[in-house]
Amino acid sequence: MKKLLLTAGLTVLMGTSAMAQQIGVSVARFDDNGLTVMRNGMTTHADTLDGVNLQVEDATDDVAKQLDQINNFVASGVDAIIVNAVDTNATEAMSAAAAAAGVPLVYVNRQPINMETLPDGQAFVASNEIESGTLAAFRMCQDLRAQGKSGGAKAYMLMGQLSNQAAVQRSKDFHDVIGMDMCNFITLIDEQTAEWSRDKAQDLMTNWISSGEPFDAVFGNNDEMAIGAIQAMKAAGISMDDVVVGGVDATADALVAMQAGEMDVTVFQDLAGQGSGSIDTALKLIAGEDVDKTVFIPFKLVTPENIGDFLQ
Amino acid sequence: MSDTSQGTGGLAFDKSKRQWPNEINVFGALILIILIFEGLGAAIMGQSFLFDSNGRFDSIFNEARLKIIILQVSIIGIIALGVTQVIISGGIDLSSGSVVGAAAMIAMSFAQVAEVNGSPNPKAVFGPAWMDLPIIVPIFVGLAIGVLAGMVNGMFVAIAKIPPFIATLGMMVSARGVAKWWTSGQPVSFPTESYGMIGGGMMPVVIFVVLAITFHIIMTQTIYGKHTYAIGSNEAAARMSGINVGRHKILVYAIAGMLAGLSAVVLTSKNLTAQSGMGIIYELDAIAMAVIGGVSLAGGRGSIIGTVIGALIFGVIISGFTFLRLDAYYQEMVKGAIIVGAVVLDQWRQQRAAMKA
Repeated sequence: MKKLLLTAGLTVLMGTSAMAQQIGVSVARFDDNGLTVMRNGMTTHADTLDGVNLQVEDATDDVAKQLDQINNFVASGVDAIIVNAVDTNATEAMSAAAAAAGVPLVYVNRQPINMETLPDGQAFVASNEIESGTLAAFRMCQDLRAQGKSGGAKAYMLMGQLSNQAAVQRSKDFHDVIGMDMCNFITLIDEQTAEWSRDKAQDLMTNWISSGEPFDAVFGNNDEMAIGAIQAMKAAGISMDDVVVGGVDATADALVAMQAGEMDVTVFQDLAGQGSGSIDTALKLIAGEDVDKTVFIPFKLVTPENIGDFLQ
Repeated sequence: MSDTSQGTGGLAFDKSKRQWPNEINVFGALILIILIFEGLGAAIMGQSFLFDSNGRFDSIFNEARLKIIILQVSIIGIIALGVTQVIISGGIDLSSGSVVGAAAMIAMSFAQVAEVNGSPNPKAVFGPAWMDLPIIVPIFVGLAIGVLAGMVNGMFVAIAKIPPFIATLGMMVSARGVAKWWTSGQPVSFPTESYGMIGGGMMPVVIFVVLAITFHIIMTQTIYGKHTYAIGSNEAAARMSGINVGRHKILVYAIAGMLAGLSAVVLTSKNLTAQSGMGIIYELDAIAMAVIGGVSLAGGRGSIIGTVIGALIFGVIISGFTFLRLDAYYQEMVKGAIIVGAVVLDQWRQQRAAMKA
C-alpha cells in the first residue's frame, strides 16, 4: 500500500514537472520604468496560466552578461527563452545559441538586428516603434495648427540615450513629421539628449530657457523628459497653455500632468501587453504552432479627450 | 635675511618660496573656461554667455543662466562635499550614487499624498496611514539611510580593514539592489506639497551653499577637520599622536553617507519623483568635482572651497555647451579631458614646488 502511494505520488510529481513549462527570461534592466511594466506584465500573466514557471534575470544593461544568462538557460534545459535585448546589435549570438540547442526564443520590446535571418522557432514581439514618435509628433502638429500657429512655430526636442534604438527612431519620426508639407511650419531650435531622465531634462530645459529664445512646442522621446521640461517651464513662469508638450509612454505621472492641463500628448505603449504577448508566443513555439516572425502590439495616442480610457 | 621670519619649530618662512593657494589656480581655470565660452558665444551665436545681451533682465548678467549653472550642480555638489572629506582622509567613496538611489526610493515612499486629482495615488507604496506625513519623516528617513550606509562603509574600512575602494564598491552594488528591490523597479511619485518645496526653485542652491560654508568652517576650524587632514597625510603618525583613527574614519564615512541621503531628499523633491535608477554615476561626478578642485586622491590635501569651484566648472561646461547648441558627445569628451588635465596640472605644480624648495 505504501509502495503504491509512493508510486502514485511520484507519478503525479513527474507528471506535473513534465507538464510545467520552464521559461527563462532575460530583461535588459530591472530599474527601467517601462521595462518594469513589461516584466510585471509577464509575471502576472504567467501566474494566471497553469504550469508555466518563469525565471526572470536582470542583465543590468550588460551585453556579455545577457549572453551568459541565455547560455545558462540553455544549459539548464528550459523549454523557451524570452530576451529583452540589452543591445539589439548583439542578438545574432543569442539566436545561434538557442537555435543550436533547439530551444524556442522570443525577443520582446527591442527589435533584434538579425530580424531578416531569424531562425525557425524564434519570433519578435513588440509595438511598431515607428508608430509612437509619429503619432505624438503629428498630434502636436495638429495642436499647433489648432492654436493658429501654422504661420510658424518653434520647437525643442529632448532625446533619450543616443545609443538607444527607440531614441533614434522617435527623434527621426519627429524630423519626418516636421518635414511633411502639413507640418513644415515647425522649425526645430535645438535637440539634445537628456538620457531619458526627468532631472537632466529639467536642467536642459532651464538652460534652453536661459537663452531667451521663444518656443511653442517641446517633444520628449519619453514622458519623464517631457515632465522634466514642464517642471522647468513652470519654474520659469511660462504658461503651459502656450506650449504644446508631447511625450511617449503614458506613465501615471504623465496622465496626472495631462489632467492638470500641462501635458498635451502622449502615446501608450502596451508594455504589459508586450510582456504577456511574449509568453503566449513562447508557449505557441513550444507547442510547435505556426507563429508570425513579428507579433505587433499596437500603440495608442493619449490626449485630454480620451485620457479617461487610460486612468486606472 | 630681512624678509624671512622665524616660524614654529625653527622653520624659516621665505616669501619667495610661498605658493598661491591651489584654489586660486582652480578659480583661474574657471574664469578661463568662462572666457572661452564668451568668445565662442560672440563668434558663433552672436550672444553673450553670462551677460544680458538682449535686455531681458534688470541686471547686466543673464540671471537665468547664472542660476541654472549652479542649480544643475548643487545636488551632486552636496554629495561632493562628503566625498571631499572622505578623500582628504585618505579614502574613497564609490557608493554615494547608489546610496542616493536607495535613499530616494525609501524616503519618497514616506512623502506621498493619499489623493492625486481626487483619485487615490496611483503610485502608492504604503497604505493611507503612511501617507500625508509631515515632511520631517521622509527627511529623517533619507538622512538615516545615508548615515546607515556610510557607517557600514566606515566599519568595513576601519574595523575589517578592507580597502575603501572595495568596501564602497560593495555598497555601491548592494545599495542599487535595495533601490530596485524596494518597489521592484517601479517609480515612486506624487509627494506632499510641502515635500516638494525642499528642492523647489533655488532651494538646492541654498542648501548646497549653506552646507559648503558649514563644512568649510568644520574642516578648517575644528578638531574634526584637523584629524581628517592628519589621517589622510600620514595615518601612522596620526595614530601615534593619539587620534582614534578607526572611530574618526567611521564618522567621516557616516557624514558622507548622510550628505548622500540629504541629496536624495533634495533630488526627489526637485523632480517630484523617485526612480531606482536615480544617482547613477553621481559618485564619479562628485569625485571629479573634488579632483578638479584640487583634492588629492593620495589624501591629506584639498579643500571644500576647491570642490565648490570644481562643481562650478562642471556647471559652466554643461551650460556652455547647451548655449553653443553642441551635442552631448562633445560635452562628455571635454569633461573627461578636464578631469585628467586638472590632475596633470596639479602634479606638475607639485613637482615645481618641490624643486623650488
